[in-house]
Amino acid sequence: MPQDLPPVGGYEPVQYKRNLPARGFRPSVMLLGVAGIMTFGFYKIGKGIREQNELAREKMWSRIHLIPLLTAEEDRDLVRRHLADQKREEELLGSRTSPYHSDRFVRPTYAVTPSQKST
Amino acid sequence: MAGRQPRFNQTTLVDTTPLPADIPPVAEIGSSSAPLLSASFFIGARCKPYNDDFMQCKTESAGKGEVDCLKEGRRVTRCATSVIEDVNKHCLAEFRKHWQCLDNNNQQLWQCRPEEWKLNKCVFENLKLEKVIPDAPKGETPVHLRTRQIYAHNGP
Repeated sequence: MPQDLPPVGGYEPVQYKRNLPARGFRPSVMLLGVAGIMTFGFYKIGKGIREQNELAREKMWSRIHLIPLLTAEEDRDLVRRHLADQKREEELLGSRTSPYHSDRFVRPTYAVTPSQKST
Repeated sequence: MAGRQPRFNQTTLVDTTPLPADIPPVAEIGSSSAPLLSASFFIGARCKPYNDDFMQCKTESAGKGEVDCLKEGRRVTRCATSVIEDVNKHCLAEFRKHWQCLDNNNQQLWQCRPEEWKLNKCVFENLKLEKVIPDAPKGETPVHLRTRQIYAHNGP
């Protein structure tokens, strides 16, 4: 029985390389393009952050201009309630006694309301 | 405590006793947040001395400012009321447009620049009050004057 031998003239060359076309730009161009896009994006982000800072400054100053007004109104209300409280206390107990060991103004935790008819 | 009036079904849980007669009364400002925000820089421009006075008083009488600074507080409120009244007298239409725009845009100032420019122009011509943002970086257009607002929904 004859042996299995290679064909006459040898085997065909084996194709081990893929035969795919190299699509798109060159890698260096791609890299440059991506860098450009990112630079532009960061530039826009920087602009936006600067603008946000300025907008925040504007908002803060608008509030700063209003705070004395709002505080004054609230203080007046607090003092009105405080004086009414003290007057009521004097009427009910005959004396004014502060529960605090200081003469500072303490914001009341509980609000006592005068009795009134339910409507 | 002053801001929101609690509402209950049975009783009004607010002590309505007025201030004693020896403390002079003053009409409260009585406007909501959007008009105040719209007029804030004009209030700041005219009332800065009074505001600073009041805040200094509060700082110096530490802990007792509520009672001791009533006089300064009345001045602050009267000054702010005068600004609002003047703006109402001279620039009512522009003022309304601006604060209604603020109300409709979540009180974001940058959404309402065209209205704001009109209001600022009118107020500057009639009341000589100018909107200036302190501590803004030099050499740049202040934000409220930039023609292109990056963050506005539909920019001017």
